Amino acid sequence: MIDWTAFLVVLVAALVGTAVVVSTYSLGIRLLTLSGRTPVVAPAEFTDAITIMTPAEAAQAAKKAAKAAKKSPLTAGQKRAAFVCAVGCFTLSGVAVLYGIYLIVPALHGG
Amino acid sequence: MDLTLIVVLVIALALFFDFTNGFHDTANAMATPIATGALRPKVAVALAAVLNLVGAFLSTEVAKTISGGIIREGDDGVLITPELIFAGLIGAIVWNMITWLLGLPSSSSHALFGGLIGAALVGFGVQAIDFSVVLSKVVLPALLAPLTAGLVAYSATKLAYAITRRYDGKPDGRSGFRHAQIFSSSLVALAHGTNDAQKTMGVITLTLIAVGLQPAGSGPEFWVVVVCAVAIALGTYMGGWRIIKTLGTGLTDVKPAQGFAAETSTAATILASSHLGFALSTTQVASGSVIGSGLGRRGSKVRWRTAGRIGIGWLLTLPAAGAVGALAALVAHLGPVGVLIDTVAGVIVIVGIFLWSKRSEVSAGNVVSEVAASGKVVKIKRNPKPKPNPKPKKVKP
Repeated sequence: MIDWTAFLVVLVAALVGTAVVVSTYSLGIRLLTLSGRTPVVAPAEFTDAITIMTPAEAAQAAKKAAKAAKKSPLTAGQKRAAFVCAVGCFTLSGVAVLYGIYLIVPALHGG
Repeated sequence: MDLTLIVVLVIALALFFDFTNGFHDTANAMATPIATGALRPKVAVALAAVLNLVGAFLSTEVAKTISGGIIREGDDGVLITPELIFAGLIGAIVWNMITWLLGLPSSSSHALFGGLIGAALVGFGVQAIDFSVVLSKVVLPALLAPLTAGLVAYSATKLAYAITRRYDGKPDGRSGFRHAQIFSSSLVALAHGTNDAQKTMGVITLTLIAVGLQPAGSGPEFWVVVVCAVAIALGTYMGGWRIIKTLGTGLTDVKPAQGFAAETSTAATILASSHLGFALSTTQVASGSVIGSGLGRRGSKVRWRTAGRIGIGWLLTLPAAGAVGALAALVAHLGPVGVLIDTVAGVIVIVGIFLWSKRSEVSAGNVVSEVAASGKVVKIKRNPKPKPNPKPKKVKP
Protein backbone atom coordinates (compact mmCIF):
# COMPACT_ATOMS: atom_id res chain seq x y z
CA MET A 1 0.00 0.00 0.00
CA ILE A 2 2.78 2.38 0.89
CA ASP A 3 4.46 3.53 -2.25
CA TRP A 4 8.12 3.20 -1.36
CA THR A 5 9.16 3.62 -4.97
CA ALA A 6 7.65 7.09 -4.98
CA PHE A 7 9.80 8.10 -2.01
CA LEU A 8 12.84 6.74 -3.75
CA VAL A 9 11.90 8.66 -6.88
CA VAL A 10 11.64 11.88 -4.84
CA LEU A 11 15.03 11.26 -3.23
CA VAL A 12 16.77 10.43 -6.48
CA ALA A 13 15.08 13.23 -8.41
CA ALA A 14 15.93 15.81 -5.74
CA LEU A 15 19.49 14.52 -5.44
CA VAL A 16 20.16 14.44 -9.16
CA GLY A 17 18.43 17.77 -9.83
CA THR A 18 20.28 19.54 -7.05
CA ALA A 19 23.60 17.95 -7.99
CA VAL A 20 23.27 19.07 -11.60
CA VAL A 21 22.28 22.64 -10.74
CA VAL A 22 24.82 23.09 -7.95
CA SER A 23 27.75 21.44 -9.70
CA THR A 24 27.28 23.29 -12.98
CA TYR A 25 27.04 26.60 -11.16
CA SER A 26 30.06 25.81 -8.98
CA LEU A 27 32.02 24.77 -12.03
CA GLY A 28 31.01 28.05 -13.62
CA ILE A 29 32.43 29.96 -10.67
CA ARG A 30 35.59 27.88 -10.75
CA LEU A 31 36.08 28.57 -14.44
CA LEU A 32 35.25 32.23 -14.01
CA THR A 33 37.97 32.45 -11.38
CA LEU A 34 40.31 30.60 -13.67
CA SER A 35 39.59 33.07 -16.45
CA GLY A 36 40.72 35.91 -14.24
CA ARG A 37 37.26 37.31 -13.56
CA THR A 38 36.85 36.17 -10.00
CA PRO A 39 33.36 37.21 -8.90
CA VAL A 40 33.32 39.40 -5.83
CA VAL A 41 29.74 40.04 -4.86
CA ALA A 42 29.22 42.16 -1.80
CA PRO A 43 26.06 41.64 0.22
CA ALA A 44 23.10 43.75 -0.87
CA GLU A 45 22.39 44.82 2.67
CA PHE A 46 24.37 44.38 5.85
CA THR A 47 22.70 42.64 8.69
CA ASP A 48 24.16 41.28 11.88
CA ALA A 49 24.21 37.91 10.24
CA ILE A 50 26.82 38.96 7.76
CA THR A 51 30.10 38.80 9.57
CA ILE A 52 32.02 37.65 6.58
CA MET A 53 32.35 40.71 4.43
CA THR A 54 32.13 44.43 5.15
CA PRO A 55 32.40 46.92 2.26
CA ALA A 56 36.04 47.51 3.08
CA GLU A 57 36.67 43.78 3.04
CA ALA A 58 34.81 43.47 -0.25
CA ALA A 59 37.04 46.10 -1.85
CA GLN A 60 40.06 44.31 -0.43
CA ALA A 61 38.83 41.00 -1.81
CA ALA A 62 38.28 42.54 -5.24
CA LYS A 63 41.84 43.92 -5.20
CA LYS A 64 43.24 40.59 -4.12
CA ALA A 65 41.29 38.82 -6.84
CA ALA A 66 42.57 41.22 -9.48
CA LYS A 67 46.12 40.70 -8.26
CA ALA A 68 45.75 36.95 -8.29
CA ALA A 69 44.30 37.13 -11.78
CA LYS A 70 47.33 39.04 -13.03
CA LYS A 71 49.64 36.30 -11.91
CA SER A 72 47.61 33.62 -13.68
CA PRO A 73 49.79 31.23 -15.67
CA LEU A 74 47.14 30.91 -18.35
CA THR A 75 47.44 32.58 -21.71
CA ALA A 76 44.85 35.08 -22.86
CA GLY A 77 43.31 32.46 -25.16
CA GLN A 78 43.02 29.92 -22.36
CA LYS A 79 41.42 32.53 -20.15
CA ARG A 80 38.92 33.35 -22.84
CA ALA A 81 38.12 29.66 -23.26
CA ALA A 82 37.64 29.30 -19.51
CA PHE A 83 35.31 32.29 -19.51
CA VAL A 84 33.24 30.86 -22.35
CA CYS A 85 33.02 27.55 -20.52
CA ALA A 86 31.98 29.37 -17.34
CA VAL A 87 29.16 31.11 -19.17
CA GLY A 88 28.21 27.74 -20.63
CA CYS A 89 28.07 26.24 -17.15
CA PHE A 90 25.84 29.03 -15.81
CA THR A 91 23.55 28.60 -18.80
CA LEU A 92 23.40 24.85 -18.24
CA SER A 93 22.53 25.45 -14.60
CA GLY A 94 19.71 27.77 -15.61
CA VAL A 95 18.43 25.39 -18.25
CA ALA A 96 18.37 22.57 -15.69
CA VAL A 97 16.19 24.69 -13.40
CA LEU A 98 13.84 25.63 -16.24
CA TYR A 99 13.59 21.99 -17.30
CA GLY A 100 12.67 21.06 -13.74
CA ILE A 101 9.88 23.64 -13.74
CA TYR A 102 8.74 22.43 -17.14
CA LEU A 103 8.50 18.88 -15.80
CA ILE A 104 6.27 19.73 -12.86
CA VAL A 105 3.83 21.99 -14.68
CA PRO A 106 1.25 19.75 -16.37
CA ALA A 107 -0.05 22.62 -18.50
CA LEU A 108 3.27 22.90 -20.34
CA HIS A 109 3.44 19.36 -21.67
CA GLY A 110 -0.20 18.56 -22.00
CA GLY A 111 -0.23 16.06 -19.09
CA MET B 1 -27.95 26.55 9.66
CA ASP B 2 -28.19 27.61 6.10
CA LEU B 3 -26.08 25.36 3.92
CA THR B 4 -24.63 28.17 1.82
CA LEU B 5 -23.78 30.29 4.84
CA ILE B 6 -21.62 27.56 6.33
CA VAL B 7 -19.94 27.01 2.95
CA VAL B 8 -19.08 30.69 2.76
CA LEU B 9 -17.85 30.55 6.35
CA VAL B 10 -15.62 27.56 5.57
CA ILE B 11 -14.17 29.19 2.47
CA ALA B 12 -13.43 32.38 4.39
CA LEU B 13 -11.77 30.38 7.14
CA ALA B 14 -9.77 28.35 4.62
CA LEU B 15 -8.53 31.51 2.97
CA PHE B 16 -7.57 32.90 6.36
CA PHE B 17 -5.62 29.72 6.98
CA ASP B 18 -3.92 30.21 3.62
CA PHE B 19 -3.03 33.73 4.68
CA THR B 20 -1.52 32.58 7.99
CA ASN B 21 0.35 29.90 6.07
CA GLY B 22 2.02 32.51 3.87
CA PHE B 23 2.56 34.71 6.90
CA HIS B 24 4.19 31.84 8.80
CA ASP B 25 6.39 30.64 5.95
CA THR B 26 7.95 33.69 4.31
CA ALA B 27 11.13 32.94 6.19
CA ASN B 28 11.38 29.49 4.62
CA ALA B 29 12.33 30.90 1.27
CA MET B 30 13.87 34.17 2.23
CA ALA B 31 15.77 33.58 5.50
CA THR B 32 18.92 32.30 3.79
CA PRO B 33 19.27 34.87 0.97
CA ILE B 34 18.64 37.68 3.45
CA ALA B 35 21.14 36.12 5.83
CA THR B 36 23.90 36.04 3.23
CA GLY B 37 22.99 39.44 1.84
CA ALA B 38 22.11 38.04 -1.56
CA LEU B 39 18.89 40.03 -1.62
CA ARG B 40 17.70 43.19 0.05
CA PRO B 41 15.01 42.20 2.54
CA LYS B 42 12.33 44.30 0.86
CA VAL B 43 13.13 42.84 -2.53
CA ALA B 44 13.24 39.34 -1.08
CA VAL B 45 9.81 39.63 0.49
CA ALA B 46 8.20 41.13 -2.60
CA LEU B 47 9.79 38.45 -4.75
CA ALA B 48 8.55 35.72 -2.40
CA ALA B 49 5.01 37.09 -2.54
CA VAL B 50 4.94 37.28 -6.34
CA LEU B 51 6.42 33.81 -6.77
CA ASN B 52 4.01 32.30 -4.27
CA LEU B 53 1.23 33.74 -6.39
CA VAL B 54 2.70 32.28 -9.57
CA GLY B 55 3.52 28.95 -7.93
CA ALA B 56 -0.06 28.40 -6.88
CA PHE B 57 -1.10 28.16 -10.52
CA LEU B 58 1.48 25.58 -11.51
CA SER B 59 0.08 22.28 -10.31
CA THR B 60 -2.90 20.75 -8.52
CA GLU B 61 -1.57 17.32 -7.55
CA VAL B 62 -1.44 18.05 -3.83
CA ALA B 63 -4.91 19.57 -3.84
CA LYS B 64 -6.21 16.32 -5.31
CA THR B 65 -4.55 14.33 -2.52
CA ILE B 66 -6.41 16.36 0.06
CA SER B 67 -9.75 16.58 -1.67
CA GLY B 68 -9.81 12.98 -2.75
CA GLY B 69 -8.12 10.63 -0.35
CA ILE B 70 -7.58 11.16 3.33
CA ILE B 71 -11.18 11.15 4.44
CA ARG B 72 -13.37 8.49 2.88
CA GLU B 73 -16.14 10.21 1.08
CA GLY B 74 -18.93 9.12 -1.22
CA ASP B 75 -21.24 6.13 -1.00
CA ASP B 76 -19.07 3.63 0.86
CA GLY B 77 -17.56 6.13 3.25
CA VAL B 78 -18.95 8.91 5.32
CA LEU B 79 -20.60 12.11 4.31
CA ILE B 80 -18.25 14.98 4.94
CA THR B 81 -20.13 17.93 6.27
CA PRO B 82 -18.95 21.51 5.97
CA GLU B 83 -19.24 21.64 9.77
CA LEU B 84 -16.52 19.01 10.02
CA ILE B 85 -14.17 20.90 7.72
CA PHE B 86 -15.00 24.04 9.61
CA ALA B 87 -13.99 22.41 12.89
CA GLY B 88 -10.79 21.09 11.33
CA LEU B 89 -9.86 24.53 10.06
CA ILE B 90 -10.46 26.08 13.45
CA GLY B 91 -8.05 23.53 14.90
CA ALA B 92 -5.44 24.26 12.25
CA ILE B 93 -5.63 28.05 12.52
CA VAL B 94 -5.64 28.13 16.30
CA TRP B 95 -2.61 25.85 16.50
CA ASN B 96 -0.83 27.83 13.79
CA MET B 97 -1.37 31.08 15.65
CA ILE B 98 -0.32 29.62 19.00
CA THR B 99 2.93 28.18 17.66
CA TRP B 100 3.62 31.41 15.82
CA LEU B 101 3.17 33.36 19.04
CA LEU B 102 5.31 31.00 21.07
CA GLY B 103 7.98 30.74 18.40
CA LEU B 104 7.57 26.97 18.35
CA PRO B 105 8.71 25.30 15.17
CA SER B 106 5.63 23.87 13.53
CA SER B 107 4.28 23.02 10.16
CA SER B 108 1.19 24.71 8.76
CA SER B 109 0.44 21.61 6.73
CA HIS B 110 0.48 19.29 9.70
CA ALA B 111 -1.72 21.70 11.61
CA LEU B 112 -4.20 21.45 8.75
CA PHE B 113 -4.11 17.66 8.54
CA GLY B 114 -4.20 17.31 12.31
CA GLY B 115 -7.23 19.54 12.56
CA LEU B 116 -9.12 17.75 9.79
CA ILE B 117 -8.29 14.29 11.10
CA GLY B 118 -9.22 15.23 14.65
CA ALA B 119 -12.53 16.65 13.53
CA ALA B 120 -13.32 13.59 11.40
CA LEU B 121 -12.47 11.22 14.25
CA VAL B 122 -14.91 12.96 16.57
CA GLY B 123 -17.55 13.37 13.90
CA PHE B 124 -17.60 9.84 12.53
CA GLY B 125 -15.24 7.63 14.44
CA VAL B 126 -12.20 5.71 13.33
CA GLN B 127 -13.70 4.31 10.12
CA ALA B 128 -13.90 7.81 8.65
CA ILE B 129 -10.18 8.04 8.18
CA ASP B 130 -8.32 6.23 5.47
CA PHE B 131 -5.29 5.54 7.59
CA SER B 132 -3.26 3.98 4.81
CA VAL B 133 -3.55 7.20 2.81
CA VAL B 134 -2.74 9.25 5.92
CA LEU B 135 0.32 7.09 6.50
CA SER B 136 1.58 6.99 2.94
CA LYS B 137 0.76 10.54 1.87
CA VAL B 138 1.11 12.52 5.08
CA VAL B 139 2.97 10.84 7.92
CA LEU B 140 5.75 9.11 6.02
CA PRO B 141 6.49 12.06 3.74
CA ALA B 142 6.62 14.19 6.90
CA LEU B 143 9.33 11.95 8.32
CA LEU B 144 11.21 11.31 5.10
CA ALA B 145 11.11 14.75 3.46
CA PRO B 146 13.35 16.58 5.96
CA LEU B 147 15.78 13.66 5.88
CA THR B 148 15.79 13.69 2.09
CA ALA B 149 16.29 17.44 1.98
CA GLY B 150 19.02 17.24 4.60
CA LEU B 151 20.88 14.52 2.75
CA VAL B 152 20.58 16.33 -0.57
CA ALA B 153 21.67 19.64 0.96
CA TYR B 154 24.63 17.97 2.67
CA SER B 155 25.83 16.45 -0.61
CA ALA B 156 25.18 19.65 -2.54
CA THR B 157 27.15 21.74 -0.04
CA LYS B 158 30.06 19.32 -0.14
CA LEU B 159 29.94 19.41 -3.92
CA ALA B 160 29.81 23.20 -4.17
CA TYR B 161 32.73 23.58 -1.77
CA ALA B 162 34.78 20.83 -3.35
CA ILE B 163 34.42 22.24 -6.85
CA THR B 164 35.33 25.80 -5.87
CA ARG B 165 38.03 24.92 -3.33
CA ARG B 166 41.48 26.38 -3.90
CA TYR B 167 44.45 25.22 -1.93
CA ASP B 168 46.75 28.02 -3.08
CA GLY B 169 44.92 30.59 -0.96
CA LYS B 170 43.93 32.69 -3.94
CA PRO B 171 40.38 34.11 -4.08
CA ASP B 172 37.89 31.36 -4.80
CA GLY B 173 35.03 33.57 -6.00
CA ARG B 174 32.51 31.89 -3.72
CA SER B 175 30.74 35.17 -3.15
CA GLY B 176 29.51 34.65 -6.72
CA PHE B 177 27.01 32.21 -5.20
CA ARG B 178 25.07 35.27 -4.03
CA HIS B 179 23.82 35.73 -7.57
CA ALA B 180 22.78 32.09 -7.71
CA GLN B 181 20.93 32.48 -4.43
CA ILE B 182 18.58 35.01 -5.98
CA PHE B 183 17.36 32.30 -8.32
CA SER B 184 17.44 29.38 -5.92
CA SER B 185 15.49 31.22 -3.23
CA SER B 186 12.98 32.32 -5.85
CA LEU B 187 12.59 28.68 -6.73
CA VAL B 188 11.85 27.87 -3.09
CA ALA B 189 9.16 30.56 -2.99
CA LEU B 190 7.70 29.12 -6.19
CA ALA B 191 7.75 25.63 -4.73
CA HIS B 192 6.10 26.90 -1.57
CA GLY B 193 3.31 28.36 -3.65
CA THR B 194 2.77 25.13 -5.56
CA ASN B 195 2.72 22.99 -2.43
CA ASP B 196 1.10 25.10 0.26
CA ALA B 197 -1.50 27.08 -1.66
CA GLN B 198 -2.76 23.75 -2.94
CA LYS B 199 -3.53 22.56 0.54
CA THR B 200 -6.13 25.28 0.89
CA MET B 201 -7.44 24.62 -2.60
CA GLY B 202 -7.86 21.02 -1.54
CA VAL B 203 -9.87 21.99 1.53
CA ILE B 204 -12.18 24.33 -0.36
CA THR B 205 -12.67 21.71 -3.07
CA LEU B 206 -13.44 19.14 -0.39
CA THR B 207 -16.13 21.45 0.97
CA LEU B 208 -17.63 22.06 -2.46
CA ILE B 209 -17.69 18.32 -3.11
CA ALA B 210 -19.26 17.71 0.30
CA VAL B 211 -22.21 19.99 -0.38
CA GLY B 212 -22.62 18.64 -3.89
CA LEU B 213 -21.55 21.74 -5.79
CA GLN B 214 -18.83 19.75 -7.48
CA PRO B 215 -18.60 16.07 -8.51
CA ALA B 216 -16.55 13.81 -6.22
CA GLY B 217 -12.98 13.23 -7.32
CA SER B 218 -12.73 16.37 -9.42
CA GLY B 219 -9.92 18.88 -9.13
CA PRO B 220 -10.15 22.45 -7.87
CA GLU B 221 -12.12 25.04 -9.80
CA PHE B 222 -10.25 27.93 -11.36
CA TRP B 223 -11.67 30.61 -9.08
CA VAL B 224 -10.56 28.54 -6.09
CA VAL B 225 -7.02 28.47 -7.47
CA VAL B 226 -7.08 32.25 -7.97
CA VAL B 227 -8.33 33.19 -4.51
CA CYS B 228 -5.93 30.76 -2.81
CA ALA B 229 -3.00 32.14 -4.78
CA VAL B 230 -3.91 35.70 -3.81
CA ALA B 231 -4.41 34.81 -0.15
CA ILE B 232 -1.05 33.08 0.21
CA ALA B 233 0.78 35.85 -1.64
CA LEU B 234 -0.82 38.48 0.56
CA GLY B 235 0.11 36.52 3.67
CA THR B 236 3.67 36.14 2.49
CA TYR B 237 3.99 39.86 1.89
CA MET B 238 2.46 40.83 5.22
CA GLY B 239 4.57 38.29 7.07
CA GLY B 240 7.64 39.67 5.41
CA TRP B 241 7.27 43.12 6.90
CA ARG B 242 7.58 41.70 10.36
CA ILE B 243 10.67 39.82 9.31
CA ILE B 244 12.28 42.97 7.94
CA LYS B 245 11.66 44.71 11.24
CA THR B 246 13.50 42.10 13.17
CA LEU B 247 16.31 41.47 10.76
CA GLY B 248 19.68 40.98 12.16
CA THR B 249 18.57 39.68 15.50
CA GLY B 250 18.71 35.98 15.14
CA LEU B 251 20.00 34.92 11.80
CA THR B 252 22.78 32.45 11.73
CA ASP B 253 25.97 32.57 9.81
CA VAL B 254 25.09 31.23 6.39
CA LYS B 255 27.57 31.48 3.56
CA PRO B 256 26.49 32.05 -0.03
CA ALA B 257 27.63 28.64 -1.30
CA GLN B 258 25.90 26.93 1.59
CA GLY B 259 22.74 28.98 1.21
CA PHE B 260 22.60 28.21 -2.50
CA ALA B 261 23.00 24.48 -1.85
CA ALA B 262 20.32 24.55 0.85
CA GLU B 263 17.83 26.48 -1.27
CA THR B 264 18.33 24.31 -4.31
CA SER B 265 17.80 21.18 -2.23
CA THR B 266 14.66 22.60 -0.64
CA ALA B 267 13.20 23.55 -3.99
CA ALA B 268 14.10 20.23 -5.62
CA THR B 269 12.63 18.18 -2.77
CA ILE B 270 9.40 20.17 -2.56
CA LEU B 271 8.87 20.24 -6.32
CA ALA B 272 9.56 16.53 -6.74
CA SER B 273 7.17 15.69 -3.91
CA SER B 274 4.44 18.06 -5.07
CA HIS B 275 4.64 16.48 -8.45
CA LEU B 276 3.87 13.08 -6.92
CA GLY B 277 1.09 14.50 -4.75
CA PHE B 278 2.83 14.30 -1.38
CA ALA B 279 1.58 17.07 0.85
CA LEU B 280 4.74 17.62 2.80
CA SER B 281 5.67 20.44 5.08
CA THR B 282 7.76 23.09 3.37
CA THR B 283 8.91 24.31 6.76
CA GLN B 284 10.38 20.96 7.64
CA VAL B 285 12.03 20.53 4.27
CA ALA B 286 13.63 23.97 4.52
CA SER B 287 14.80 23.22 8.05
CA GLY B 288 16.22 19.88 6.98
CA SER B 289 18.11 21.59 4.18
CA VAL B 290 19.57 24.27 6.42
CA ILE B 291 20.78 21.67 8.90
CA GLY B 292 22.12 19.41 6.16
CA SER B 293 24.00 22.21 4.43
CA GLY B 294 25.47 23.35 7.73
CA LEU B 295 26.79 19.85 8.30
CA GLY B 296 28.31 19.94 4.85
CA ARG B 297 30.64 22.72 5.91
CA ARG B 298 33.99 22.03 7.44
CA GLY B 299 34.30 22.27 11.19
CA SER B 300 30.57 21.86 11.85
CA LYS B 301 28.98 20.20 14.84
CA VAL B 302 25.37 19.44 15.62
CA ARG B 303 23.78 21.09 18.64
CA TRP B 304 21.58 18.15 19.54
CA ARG B 305 19.61 20.04 22.14
CA THR B 306 18.33 22.58 19.60
CA ALA B 307 17.71 19.82 17.09
CA GLY B 308 15.72 17.93 19.71
CA ARG B 309 13.55 20.94 20.46
CA ILE B 310 12.73 21.33 16.79
CA GLY B 311 11.98 17.61 16.52
CA ILE B 312 9.56 17.73 19.43
CA GLY B 313 7.73 20.63 17.82
CA TRP B 314 7.32 18.56 14.68
CA LEU B 315 5.98 15.57 16.55
CA LEU B 316 3.58 17.66 18.58
CA THR B 317 1.85 19.52 15.76
CA LEU B 318 -0.30 16.75 14.29
CA PRO B 319 -1.85 15.56 17.58
CA ALA B 320 -2.16 19.05 19.06
CA ALA B 321 -3.98 20.50 16.06
CA GLY B 322 -5.99 17.27 16.02
CA ALA B 323 -7.06 17.85 19.61
CA VAL B 324 -8.21 21.42 18.89
CA GLY B 325 -9.98 20.21 15.75
CA ALA B 326 -11.66 17.41 17.69
CA LEU B 327 -12.81 19.82 20.36
CA ALA B 328 -14.21 22.18 17.75
CA ALA B 329 -15.98 19.28 16.04
CA LEU B 330 -17.47 18.20 19.35
CA VAL B 331 -18.91 21.66 19.86
CA ALA B 332 -20.02 21.92 16.22
CA HIS B 333 -22.04 18.74 16.75
CA LEU B 334 -24.48 20.76 18.80
CA GLY B 335 -25.77 22.16 15.51
CA PRO B 336 -25.97 25.80 14.44
CA VAL B 337 -25.43 26.94 18.02
CA GLY B 338 -22.24 24.89 18.17
CA VAL B 339 -20.92 26.38 14.94
CA LEU B 340 -21.69 29.81 16.33
CA ILE B 341 -19.82 29.01 19.54
CA ASP B 342 -16.87 27.70 17.48
CA THR B 343 -16.81 30.82 15.34
CA VAL B 344 -16.94 33.17 18.30
CA ALA B 345 -14.30 31.18 20.20
CA GLY B 346 -12.07 31.02 17.13
CA VAL B 347 -12.35 34.75 16.48
CA ILE B 348 -11.63 35.50 20.16
CA VAL B 349 -8.52 33.31 20.09
CA ILE B 350 -7.26 34.79 16.81
CA VAL B 351 -7.88 38.41 17.80
CA GLY B 352 -6.46 37.74 21.25
CA ILE B 353 -3.29 36.23 19.86
CA PHE B 354 -2.97 39.03 17.36
CA LEU B 355 -3.27 41.69 20.05
CA TRP B 356 -0.92 39.77 22.29
CA SER B 357 1.67 39.60 19.54
CA LYS B 358 1.37 43.34 18.98
CA ARG B 359 1.97 43.92 22.65
CA SER B 360 4.87 41.61 23.05
CA GLU B 361 8.28 42.34 21.69
CA VAL B 362 8.81 41.07 18.18
CA SER B 363 11.81 38.81 18.34
CA ALA B 364 13.64 36.44 16.11
CA GLY B 365 12.08 33.62 18.10
CA ASN B 366 8.58 34.27 16.82
CA VAL B 367 9.29 35.80 13.45
CA VAL B 368 12.34 34.52 11.68
CA SER B 369 11.10 31.20 12.88
CA GLU B 370 12.03 27.67 12.50
CA VAL B 371 14.35 27.88 9.54
CA ALA B 372 16.64 30.33 11.25
CA ALA B 373 16.35 28.25 14.41
CA SER B 374 17.42 25.14 12.57
CA GLY B 375 20.51 26.96 11.39
CA LYS B 376 21.55 27.09 15.01
CA VAL B 377 21.48 23.32 15.21
CA VAL B 378 24.80 23.23 13.46
CA LYS B 379 27.75 24.78 15.20
CA ILE B 380 30.42 25.95 12.82
CA LYS B 381 33.90 27.13 13.60
CA ARG B 382 34.33 30.51 12.02
CA ASN B 383 36.25 30.34 8.77
CA PRO B 384 38.45 27.29 9.27
CA LYS B 385 41.45 27.28 6.99
CA PRO B 386 41.38 24.66 4.25
CA LYS B 387 43.80 21.86 4.87
CA PRO B 388 46.52 21.85 2.27
CA ASN B 389 47.01 18.78 0.18
CA PRO B 390 48.83 16.24 2.35
CA LYS B 391 51.55 15.69 -0.18
CA PRO B 392 51.79 18.22 -2.95
CA LYS B 393 52.70 16.48 -6.13
CA LYS B 394 56.04 17.47 -7.52
CA VAL B 395 55.64 17.85 -11.22
CA LYS B 396 58.86 17.38 -13.05
CA PRO B 397 59.26 19.77 -15.89
